[in-house]
Amino acid sequence: MSFQEKNITASFAIFTLILGFYLVRVFQMIQSGSFNLTNMVRLWGTVIVLGIVVTIIGTILTHIGSGIIQAIKTREEPVIEDIQDERDRLIDLRGTKVAYFVSSIGVFLSMLTFAFGQPSLVMFSLLIFFGLVAQIIGDIARLVLYRRGV
Amino acid sequence: MANYRINNHIRKLRFFHNEMTQQQLADKVGVTRQTIIAMEQGKYSPSLELAFRVALAFGVPLDEVFSYDPETESN
Repeated sequence: MSFQEKNITASFAIFTLILGFYLVRVFQMIQSGSFNLTNMVRLWGTVIVLGIVVTIIGTILTHIGSGIIQAIKTREEPVIEDIQDERDRLIDLRGTKVAYFVSSIGVFLSMLTFAFGQPSLVMFSLLIFFGLVAQIIGDIARLVLYRRGV
Repeated sequence: MANYRINNHIRKLRFFHNEMTQQQLADKVGVTRQTIIAMEQGKYSPSLELAFRVALAFGVPLDEVFSYDPETESN
């Protein structure tokens, strides 16, 4: 598995966990009757900070871990190919295209709920939900393109 | 518009160049080893620039490395 694939796998795992955390928190808020704007904005902030911090830490830990495993297996100093060539850029571009497409549909659906009389809170909840889903689907598309070819 | 496969003889050319490794070729043309593997397996059609760099690395004309087969449809 290449450096870029490891990055994408780490991102995929992290954003899936963050999506899980987000859904659990939203359902907890709904059940306890604390589903209001203040709590929702706080959750937004938490998810965004988690997305940035955990992705950085997770990526570093993934590379340290895979470097240790490679060193144990081969008994040589691990080589990290961290250059991004034209194939990586093409796959990244196509993954981003998929993510934007999902994100656009998500924004449209979120707006639709508002247009059909749902409170703005529902729209904001769906916006961040689709943002996370778009990131995950974009990562899946990238991983598929690395395996299947472009 | 249908997509067509570009075939290549990179594996054969590496063999005839003192069993050049994929890593050595990757270093010469400035890409990762994974890209060389993908090209050899027909999973990636390189840009024109990279194709020329590969041909230059082997010191042969472009059409000795890559060939275009309009009959073979890719996935």
